[in-house]
Amino acid sequence: MAVLHAWRAARVTPLGELHAPPRMTAVLVRLIVQVVLVASLWNGLYDRTTVAAGMSRDQAVTYAVLAVLASRLRELDQYAGRDTVIQHMHFGTIVYWYLRPLSPARYHALRALGEQVYGAAWALAGYAVCLAAGVVEPPRSAAVAGVFVLSLLLGQLVLYHVMLLLDQMCFWTVRNSAAMLILIFAQNLMSGVYAPLWFFPAWFRTLSTFLPFQATLNVPLSLYVGRIELSDAPLQLAIQAGWVVLLHLFTRFLWRRAARRVISQGG
Amino acid sequence: MIGSIEVRSLSRSFHTTVRRPGFTGALRSLVNPERAVKHAVSDISFDVAPGELLALLGPNGAGKSTTIKMLTGILTPTSGEARVAGVVPYEDRERNARNIGAVFGQRTQLWWDLPVRESFAILRDIYEVPMAEHATRLKEFDDILELSSFWDTRVRHLSLGQRVRCDLAAALLHDPPVVFLDEPTIGMDVVVKEQVREFLRHQVEQRGRTVLLTTHDMTEVERLAERVVLVNHGRLVLDGTLDEIRRKYGSTWQVRATLADAHTEVVPPPGIALLRQEGPQVVFGPDGPDAPTVHQALKAVIERYEVTGIAIDEADLEDVMRAAYVHAGPGAKGA
Repeated sequence: MAVLHAWRAARVTPLGELHAPPRMTAVLVRLIVQVVLVASLWNGLYDRTTVAAGMSRDQAVTYAVLAVLASRLRELDQYAGRDTVIQHMHFGTIVYWYLRPLSPARYHALRALGEQVYGAAWALAGYAVCLAAGVVEPPRSAAVAGVFVLSLLLGQLVLYHVMLLLDQMCFWTVRNSAAMLILIFAQNLMSGVYAPLWFFPAWFRTLSTFLPFQATLNVPLSLYVGRIELSDAPLQLAIQAGWVVLLHLFTRFLWRRAARRVISQGG
Repeated sequence: MIGSIEVRSLSRSFHTTVRRPGFTGALRSLVNPERAVKHAVSDISFDVAPGELLALLGPNGAGKSTTIKMLTGILTPTSGEARVAGVVPYEDRERNARNIGAVFGQRTQLWWDLPVRESFAILRDIYEVPMAEHATRLKEFDDILELSSFWDTRVRHLSLGQRVRCDLAAALLHDPPVVFLDEPTIGMDVVVKEQVREFLRHQVEQRGRTVLLTTHDMTEVERLAERVVLVNHGRLVLDGTLDEIRRKYGSTWQVRATLADAHTEVVPPPGIALLRQEGPQVVFGPDGPDAPTVHQALKAVIERYEVTGIAIDEADLEDVMRAAYVHAGPGAKGA
């Protein structure tokens, strides 16, 4: 099977980044600034209180900083490397995805895997520094750490499929910039990047349960800081897995539909 | 059959929305869109033998690219059938992909941010080409296309000529028996064009690849193709060898003769017209559909008149193709 031999496609993003040192410097600077500001903000917010929204200062700071680091796992950059669906649609080069013995769906997944592994390297490095500096707390137990990793993996799979939906939209609309802006805002707001979801009103959290975003970050981060107890983990993991299956089936259906559209949009 | 292309009554239509002019028209199109059917390719049939280079020609919008996209499996025909190396391309895209290579003009399949050699390595893995075979083939391509001087450069920093040479190599790295080239030399300088032509000749003559080439460059057609298929308005206009087409449509020659006696009464031979006469200088041209070839006309003029000087002007291939478009209406088949 071509997919077994095509692992090199997963190297596209990391290699491209390594060949562009200014981009790596920008990522580093942004990450440092974000972590420092977010940690300062949440420490400041807890100046006059010890517990808010059921979270202690340490829990809130750890959640917020980990959210910043985890958001590095998959960069929402649609224009780097000229190898995104929107750019291939724009330049008419999407046809080449259909001229290889590796389906576009598998190629897209391999590329995303490479991107996420590359992002994970940044996140892990940031995590190690933050842990050593005492900015974030370590997991309370090995079991919590294990469940967190599993939940984070499922969350990344959910996020991959959400991003894939946006990419697939390009087969019908060519551009997806407006949808991308909405998605980035929704993803950051409803997954807990802007603020832990526990600080939002009950109706908002109820609404979030019907959307996939909270499954991407809020669930694993809440498990890490102990805001979701380990005893509730199986249900949360099952919900995340449910989102993965649902989104996978839907995106698979869209890949088949997109194959019929490729010519009219791809030139 | 490995390397052959068979096309039978291939047609492709697109449903489009008619865009009305002006603001009101745009609003009407939005509220009540008018749908129209565009026949991009209609009932086209032809074969390409293994190891043959066929030029698929036609004006812009004639249906060349649509035909190529059906043969590469990107597009499913509305009706008709095509087989490329024994595979129906649009029914089995992945199997077809192993049999074909393709270059679409200036659209690159290389990875923009990576050095060219990384792109080649990714394609090698995708096509499961053994390392040793990959290295040998790369060396062969480098010998003709001189890739090694820039294959460690990132694609975004290559010139157009360098990039297209790399794209050609990338399309052939998995040793496909059939190659589709959609205007591969567009925008390139003459030196690189010649390099690419030499590469293609080598691939056809030495490697036995079947090549289907579309181009607007008639020099390229003359240097590379023995046979051409002309399409216009989505229909096949003619299919024949360059000689056949020249015989049929290349009748825009002129024979310029200097007569020994300026007062000779000139009555041209049958099928030949007197175009101009100024003193002893006379110019003959073809007269009607049964006009002789330029060489027959030359012989007839020399036999009939006493001449002190004679020269011929033959139409180039571009003129021939223009004549072919004009004379052979849509739907005419065969040269």
